[in-house]
Amino acid sequence: MWTTVLVSGITLGSFYTLVALGFALIFGVTHTFNLAHGELLVLAGYVAYWLWKTYGISLLFTFPAAILATLVVCLILQRLFSRLREPMEMNSIVLSFGLAILLQNGMLFFFSGDYRLIRVPTFNQGLHFNTLYLSYGQLTLLALSLLVIGLLYLLMRHTFLGKALRATIQDREAAALAGINVGGMGVLAFAIGAILIGLAGPLYGCVHYLYPTAGLQATLLAITITIFAGVGRIRTLILGGWILGFAESGAVVLLGASWRELVSAVMLITLLALRPQGIFEREQ
Amino acid sequence: MRKKETTSQKAIQQRVAWAAPVLALVLLLLLPVFARYNDYVLQVFTHALLLATLALAWNILGVSGSISLGHAAFFGAGAYTSALLSLDLGVSPWATIPLGGVLAAGIAAIMGLFCLRLRGAYFALATLAFVEIPKVITDNWDGLTRGSLGLVGLPGLPSLRLGSYHFDMSGSLVGSYYFVLGYGLVLLVLVTILFRSNLGLALQALREEEVAAEAIGIQVQKYRLLSLLLSAFFTGITGACYGHLIRYLEPGLVYGLHFSAIPMIFAICGGRFTILGPALAALVLYPVDQFIFHPLLPAGHEFLYGAVIILAILFMPSGVWGQLRKGHFVSIKTGSIE
Repeated sequence: MWTTVLVSGITLGSFYTLVALGFALIFGVTHTFNLAHGELLVLAGYVAYWLWKTYGISLLFTFPAAILATLVVCLILQRLFSRLREPMEMNSIVLSFGLAILLQNGMLFFFSGDYRLIRVPTFNQGLHFNTLYLSYGQLTLLALSLLVIGLLYLLMRHTFLGKALRATIQDREAAALAGINVGGMGVLAFAIGAILIGLAGPLYGCVHYLYPTAGLQATLLAITITIFAGVGRIRTLILGGWILGFAESGAVVLLGASWRELVSAVMLITLLALRPQGIFEREQ
Repeated sequence: MRKKETTSQKAIQQRVAWAAPVLALVLLLLLPVFARYNDYVLQVFTHALLLATLALAWNILGVSGSISLGHAAFFGAGAYTSALLSLDLGVSPWATIPLGGVLAAGIAAIMGLFCLRLRGAYFALATLAFVEIPKVITDNWDGLTRGSLGLVGLPGLPSLRLGSYHFDMSGSLVGSYYFVLGYGLVLLVLVTILFRSNLGLALQALREEEVAAEAIGIQVQKYRLLSLLLSAFFTGITGACYGHLIRYLEPGLVYGLHFSAIPMIFAICGGRFTILGPALAALVLYPVDQFIFHPLLPAGHEFLYGAVIILAILFMPSGVWGQLRKGHFVSIKTGSIE
């Protein structure tokens, strides 16, 4: 039983890290909270579902369309955020909350309130190793998540652009003094964030049911992992994702599937209670 | 010349500030007559009034500068407490409705334990997550709450007999309407007294500059807790009334994001730092949603709330009523009268 928890914890946890990456990047660079994160993810899932269902396009080829959808919304959101007044963190929460409501109702209008799932037949088959069972779905999820996380790690650590992004995350004023276009980095963060959400969304539609208000759970887990890791630390983000994945799988086994939703909420409140001054003040 | 203009503008604002609430009150009192006892219109305005009380209650905390995204926790707790006590133990709703408020305040005390040290955005995030706790517990405690099946057949509000006059508050829509209007007016008076009391002044002071407020001897944490408890208490009472009016409850409904979002949206659009703003926003926006957008877009008409909150935070962060009432609030931060 515990090997099942281990396997599903790692797969789910890696996927959660992928879900959180976009949120963490946008938050780190621009200091804004995007509460519409989960809704964007569900939107990307719906775009993939719609292409898969009506045109029979295979999952792999739905990613570009999903990314395009999230990119458009994210860049609009970035324009709106850039017009906000202080306090930025608080106002960005209110604004993106409004966007979340807009997106929920838009999706309700276009895709109805029915529960949708992208069913890939091969995903339910799998490999047996003694007591351990790995479905192809889990394998795909794990491989794709780790691949995208790895690519982002390379971008952040081994390119000049990544260096500029990390500098902006660490200290915006110093980065500006060093000649980094901080505003441009903000746009870039939203663009990369949108690509990450667009990649995670269709996968989300394969593992979770899609419905217009499904986004809140994804938003909560993205916030939880981001607060756990602080910003700009991809390795800590993975650790946070795995802990959350294990905790959720454990809760499902011990308490039942209906308690799963509680895990990320309790973890987030605990983290905030332990670190009440927020993320940025930690090092001082 | 310029000065004259501004004074006349101020005079107009003064007049609107007096005329609008009086006009609204007269219209609300006579609404059943104007609406010719049309059921649908009465239902919509009963619900609008209920949402107005929700926004008023939210704003008891909102005036201190905190934004809560988790008031559904109190709304749902109040609704379930009152519903279960009256349904299973047969207690009269008159007794169970205040108890709903008390339990909501109890939940707020637990929330306060974890969240009150948090400021600004982090407080908002914590409240957003907190709602999940009572929601999932209610959803899973089948023995007590019947879980996700929800509660049906809740007792309505009992009728009042004053001598020979029989005031039926659950059987007739007019009765329900006047009950909610009465509760709304009582809450409005209480909130007005509260905002002008030392507690209200302290909350406004700590909103403007918490460190300065603490320096002049305001016990910041005590007042923040007090405002959270009061806000939760009245939100719980509104939730309880909602249950007895709708007579049907479900965890996903009363603990849903809707009842967390709605009071925040009304309060910010109307004017967070005013007394009347949140209630007026509810009385305008909800009927607009129901009469205009609901027939046009049966699925997705609530996009309206998302759109107005985005517009408000971008172009009018002090809210419509707050904009009108400028000059009545001294901003300590800027040192000037706004």
